[in-house]
Amino acid sequence: MSTESEILHVGIDLGTSRSAISASNGERFVVDSFVGWPADMVAKKVLKRDVLIGHEAVTNRTMLDLHRPLERGLLKEGSDKDVEAVRELLKHLLRLVGVANGKVEGANVRAVVGVPAAALRTNKQYLRNSMKGIVDSLMIVSEPFAVAYGLNALLHTMIIDIGAGTTDFCVMKGRYPNEEDQRTLTIAGDSLDAQLLKLIEERYPQANVTVFMVREWKEKHSFVGDPPKRVLVTAPVKGVPTQFDITNEMKTACETLLPPTVETMLDLLSRVEPEFQERVRNNIILSGGGGLIRNLPRTLEEALKQVGGGKVTHMQDPVFVGSDGGLALALDAPDDDWEKLTA
Amino acid sequence: MRVGQIDRVKRQLLRQAVADNLDTIRGLPPRALRPRRRFVRIFLRRAPLVIIPLILTSLAFLSNTGVTAKAIAPAPGIAAQPRVVHASVAPMLMTDTLPVSASAFPLSVHRVVLDAGHGGTDPGASSTSNVSEKEITLDIQNRLSALLRKNGFEVVVTRSDDRLIPLRERAKLANGSTSDIFVSIHVNSIPHPNNHGVETYYLGPTNDPKLTQLAAAENLTSGYALADLRKLLDRVYADVRRDESQRLATAVQLQLFSGLRGVDPGLENWGVKRAPFIVLVATEMPAILAEVGCLSNDREAEMLRSGAYREQIAQALFHGIHAYASANDAPQKKGT
Repeated sequence: MSTESEILHVGIDLGTSRSAISASNGERFVVDSFVGWPADMVAKKVLKRDVLIGHEAVTNRTMLDLHRPLERGLLKEGSDKDVEAVRELLKHLLRLVGVANGKVEGANVRAVVGVPAAALRTNKQYLRNSMKGIVDSLMIVSEPFAVAYGLNALLHTMIIDIGAGTTDFCVMKGRYPNEEDQRTLTIAGDSLDAQLLKLIEERYPQANVTVFMVREWKEKHSFVGDPPKRVLVTAPVKGVPTQFDITNEMKTACETLLPPTVETMLDLLSRVEPEFQERVRNNIILSGGGGLIRNLPRTLEEALKQVGGGKVTHMQDPVFVGSDGGLALALDAPDDDWEKLTA
Repeated sequence: MRVGQIDRVKRQLLRQAVADNLDTIRGLPPRALRPRRRFVRIFLRRAPLVIIPLILTSLAFLSNTGVTAKAIAPAPGIAAQPRVVHASVAPMLMTDTLPVSASAFPLSVHRVVLDAGHGGTDPGASSTSNVSEKEITLDIQNRLSALLRKNGFEVVVTRSDDRLIPLRERAKLANGSTSDIFVSIHVNSIPHPNNHGVETYYLGPTNDPKLTQLAAAENLTSGYALADLRKLLDRVYADVRRDESQRLATAVQLQLFSGLRGVDPGLENWGVKRAPFIVLVATEMPAILAEVGCLSNDREAEMLRSGAYREQIAQALFHGIHAYASANDAPQKKGT
């Protein structure tokens, strides 16, 4: 058995848009979940690399065969290139936390990976297979569960984790959440981007806008309800940088999240034992990038008034909350359990 | 929560998380979906300890007393029901006076569900000459049904006339019939009228947007809520039924293509594919969906009007089912 000093515990939030890793050596990194291979020999010569990952891949996307290997928070099944991409992404994340200490080589790596709450068994098996040879032991848990564990929010709490690919709900009842305690919606950051892009294209057909630009604008300016300020962005029109007001489009796109989120939140609440409903209503935690949408907690609290009111809080730094929770799980799991979970 | 209480809850959660992961490694369905048949499991585990010595004792007794199979045949006048018996176990079963149901042997194919696609107000695809998918699938189903019955199979059909049966009802009927396989018959229509081919689907996720679109179109009349679908999917994606369905699809596709290529040299082989059609998701036996032709191709649409060509398709489907059944230690047919 490996000694403590040879073991590296990691928590990984494998996200559709961004992936984060927190390691027991204190290192934490987040990368864009993009992997690209040079599209041809010329690109390879210019880039001088076999594979590019994260922001670097996005920046050089015109020269790359670019892959976003996760779809709705899950590994795309049936595409060898996407499997290879997710392996590259995971190896890159591990390299990032290992390079600082020079520890990955030869270390026994124990990883906890968060996946959407509604991931099927087969998705988990697929992920497990694709991680063979990358980590030594692997535990796969639902992402909102990892968040709850990391925050010690284990009882009478609801986690709403709004990511890029999925919005995950999980009610913590002091037990490992089962199907009844969890929900996954595919209306999340990506669908919001698509909606915003469509609305902008409809209103400003002359503007040259990509989904990457839209994502950046959303991350800076997203809101629901009353606009905190006008949302002014710059996009080229026939090559000339031009300013556009997209306040209404931003509001409309962001508010597409509201009806399904409110409906699912109230539905899950109604399934909690009546004597605990009030406690859960007052312990709703928003995580994930979507949790930072301005006015969202207040809007959800408004919706909660119809069932007696409640309190919604959001994580100030949602980037590492999932991976930190995964790391906490990894560190708490006893050695003999890890030995059963060989990757 | 107090610190001690948090630690206790955490330990419990970890134990459950590890157990859930071990279940995934072993390919077991989620605990919430697993039937609680503890006593059945215990019985099955221990039954051989009792049954095997009993059978051995009976055999020894029969051989000592000179009782032959002939001596325990049904009395004259009692019509023997045509039953299907697994070949490899037949001699042992001869010691029993009761007829043996093939359903006792899960790998034998005894009863087949045929599902003629669409019907009633849902015509499915149509050709430019107004031949509708619902009419072709029903006719092929009837022809295939006759072939299967003639060869000793039992057949259950999801519709026997021109009516719309929701997909959920079709699956319910199939599941209630305790059948061994499910074959759904459809006719394709694609945006490229010059191409035509055959393809067979079994249940599985797909990344192909065209297949997702096709599945969405075929799933319109499902009658299932999304939550129900999720539960169904989790049950089937990891189970052995997927492999069996793939084998059945492969056998049927091979026969469809080779059987029809002779009369239609331009026919393309589009192969065996995975797609989440509802009828495949919700049925509890190996299940396939065969697209036996293409109504968007005028030439093939004309062929599909003819009874002779439909008979060829039914023959090809029959040979595919037969090949799969044979590979699974096929049932002995009547008169053999």
